[in-house]
Amino acid sequence: MNKELKKRGLRFYASIYFKIIAQDFKSKMSYRADFIISMLGMILTNISGFVTFYIMFQNFETINGWNYYEMLFLYGFSLIALTPMQCLFDNNWNLRYAVYDGSFIKYCFRPINIFFYFISEVFDVKGLGQLLMGSLTLGYAWHNLGLQMTVGKAFLLVAALLTGSLFMIAIMNLAAATCFWLVNSGFVMVTMFKFTEYARYPVTIFQGIFRGLFTFVIPIAFVAYYPSYIFLRPGLPVLTCLSPLFGIFFFWVSYRVWMLGASRYSGTGN
Amino acid sequence: MESIITLKNVSKEFKVLNRHEGIKGGFQDLFSRDYKIIRAVNDVSMEIMPGEICGYLGPNGAGKSTTIKMMTGVLEPTSGEILVNGRIPYKNRTENAQNIGVVFGQRSQLWWALPLIESFKLLRDIYQIDEKDFKDMMELYESLVDIKELYSKPVRQMSLGQRTLSDILAAFLHNPGVVFLDEPTIGLDVSMKSKIRDLIKALNHEKKTTVILTTHDMGDVDALCKRIVIIDKGVMLYDNSIENLRSFFGAYRTLRLRFTKDASQLTEDALKKQAAELAVDLKNVYPQVKSISVSVGEEWVDVLLNEDEIPLMKVLSHIQETRRIYDVQLKEISTESVIKKIYDKEIE
Amino acid sequence: MKKKIWKYLTLLRVGILEEMQFRLGAVTKLFGNIIYLIIIYFLWKAIFAGAPTEVVNGMTFEDTMIYLVLASALFYTMEMYVTWDMGRRIKSGDIVVDFLRPMGYIKFQVLSLSGNTIVSAVTSLLPTMIIVYLITGGGFALSCNLLFFTAAIMIGTVLNYFINFFVGTICFYTESIWGINIMKEVIVLLLSGASIPLAFFPETLQKVVYYLPFQAIYNTPLKLLIDNSLSLQSRMSMLGLQLFWTVVVGCISYAFFKISVRRITVNGG
Repeated sequence: MNKELKKRGLRFYASIYFKIIAQDFKSKMSYRADFIISMLGMILTNISGFVTFYIMFQNFETINGWNYYEMLFLYGFSLIALTPMQCLFDNNWNLRYAVYDGSFIKYCFRPINIFFYFISEVFDVKGLGQLLMGSLTLGYAWHNLGLQMTVGKAFLLVAALLTGSLFMIAIMNLAAATCFWLVNSGFVMVTMFKFTEYARYPVTIFQGIFRGLFTFVIPIAFVAYYPSYIFLRPGLPVLTCLSPLFGIFFFWVSYRVWMLGASRYSGTGN
Repeated sequence: MESIITLKNVSKEFKVLNRHEGIKGGFQDLFSRDYKIIRAVNDVSMEIMPGEICGYLGPNGAGKSTTIKMMTGVLEPTSGEILVNGRIPYKNRTENAQNIGVVFGQRSQLWWALPLIESFKLLRDIYQIDEKDFKDMMELYESLVDIKELYSKPVRQMSLGQRTLSDILAAFLHNPGVVFLDEPTIGLDVSMKSKIRDLIKALNHEKKTTVILTTHDMGDVDALCKRIVIIDKGVMLYDNSIENLRSFFGAYRTLRLRFTKDASQLTEDALKKQAAELAVDLKNVYPQVKSISVSVGEEWVDVLLNEDEIPLMKVLSHIQETRRIYDVQLKEISTESVIKKIYDKEIE
Repeated sequence: MKKKIWKYLTLLRVGILEEMQFRLGAVTKLFGNIIYLIIIYFLWKAIFAGAPTEVVNGMTFEDTMIYLVLASALFYTMEMYVTWDMGRRIKSGDIVVDFLRPMGYIKFQVLSLSGNTIVSAVTSLLPTMIIVYLITGGGFALSCNLLFFTAAIMIGTVLNYFINFFVGTICFYTESIWGINIMKEVIVLLLSGASIPLAFFPETLQKVVYYLPFQAIYNTPLKLLIDNSLSLQSRMSMLGLQLFWTVVVGCISYAFFKISVRRITVNGG
């Protein structure tokens, strides 16, 4: 009965995760119509975002000293940074339903990390459409801005994108976790998700305390603006250098809050 | 033998917001700090031995799921001690989870979109079950139920019965010391119910697994449990064997009657009407006898009475004088009636 | 007749109560809204700062802000999750229960949603309007345009409901509730003028949008409130068009729903 169990470390979780994803992917593919409609929805969302963007620049040439291609760079960058959240952490959107109807309790019965167990349940394929749109946009902007591509820059770009993703994920983790305390937290999620859409604009458009707000409280400035600053402007702001560390820290905080909520949860039994 | 589950003076309290009525009250609630404390479980103690199947009964809202949640480590008791497999469940949730199995409510705990066998394989990895143990277990399963044909089926496409079956098998897969089953047969048809009961019995027998079972279906209790614990409003009312409980009602008899030639043709409503008329009649004739109650069983009108109060033959002959009886059976008091009497606080 | 009215009023009241039950939720909602408004304020300020002229497409920065602020307040007032709900209920099979309600599924939904809308209108739209009015020193007139505005919101809510209802019915045919929903949301948001004033659209796109029902949800009420240059006749015709769309979309949705239900009940889903 009391056999020695292997420690459930990173390797254990990674192996379980890939098994779930592989199986999930297989079963998703068998619902083709569903998949196509989701993809269409994703693409339409991106097209509409692009149309909005286009309409604005039809009427105005620069925004806060940033020209069309620079803005497009930020836009593409933020789309890519959004992808990991979209693909890997999509089950956060279902969290409040699971909490309200009491089915969240099933995640508490397994001898693995609750956050991992919950998040691993869904892999959202349609986020890949976003990745494609973002990559195309970023590539197009990169090309038109006349930027060079070197190994060092490629490395920097990946690091910058990962940093942006961490912030994006952390924001949505926190937003989802509010459902452990609030009754209609759906609104928090929707609002936060909307905010992340504004990550594609330079944070310098905000003034005074609001720049602080969007840098440190709801840190959308770190999703695209600070990480991509090195590619677009000379000089190196402190916040750009620190952004990877901030990203990791912020993600950790969001994870702790999420888990705190989960441990507070007792299942709405009656 | 040492007990596998020990509860010592366990209580659990919840803080609940006092909601006000109406539109004005809605505004008040926005800023209200008016909480009241609800004692969902009040000073419950019990010891459960390894290999037992224990029925944990009580009306809705009695505190059953709260107790189960505490035993599974999801909830921390407000006061008192709980030990499961020698561990304090909420102190180390993962370690405790490794040694228990749970089927909670009607929602499946398996991966919704995955074929059943893949879910099992994932559980094998999660619980780190040895390849050999896993194989043996699957062989045991295959010998007990027709599970093979379900292997390739995703859980989302299964019927409720198939899903329940799969969930129960999944709960036993890692050979835990204790399995908690929360209303495992709810919503199932008669044959599926008996299939599930046989399965639970067989697994308990083969693996010596302790089973804690909450249910409203006394058929489950009759088929599975030697021991029952009854709780109501958070307080424990009874903890002993079913036989012992029945002995309280030793002088009780159930008289089963049919007033129609072909009972299977009778509608539920018509049967109820017969029962209601009989109840009124008996009440008029024996106004001082409190123990007589009339209810409807499957195709029968059941008259339950205490022979210490009134001889059964006397009642029967009265009924015979006033009605045409087509069929009679005599039975002991049913578990259902016993439990109902406990809920209604008819005995102390 | 009187009894019927009471029945409806009860439903309305339930909708109102439901909306208020959300304790902390109400505070978050307000907070989120304020931050959202701050974002669009700074964004458009930066945008206008980069423009060569002060008036772009006939709108000044102040005009644009009044429009966008009221648009967002209106958006939250009229927000409904009918499509999600229906999708979920169809998937779970609970929708069958809705057919059993004596008053008819649609009437039930419209009434309880109207209850929600009334609360939101009082708790978020009205304060927003007062604040906008005070800050801009009379950014919109206080005359009969308020009546038109109110009427247009009421019609717009029903129209919005029917569009939601139509899209929700599609969920009978597909499992992808998310895909269906997001497409609806994106299209409505963009083409109704809720995220960018329609005046900024390129001319051809503007023409297309005016022939679609979506702009009648948000753009029509807002225009009736803000634009003082409208004649009584054009006001009436705007309301008429709104009503027209409501009836058309309502009929189509209803027919679509009926056909779908029959199909499902015949085929057993």
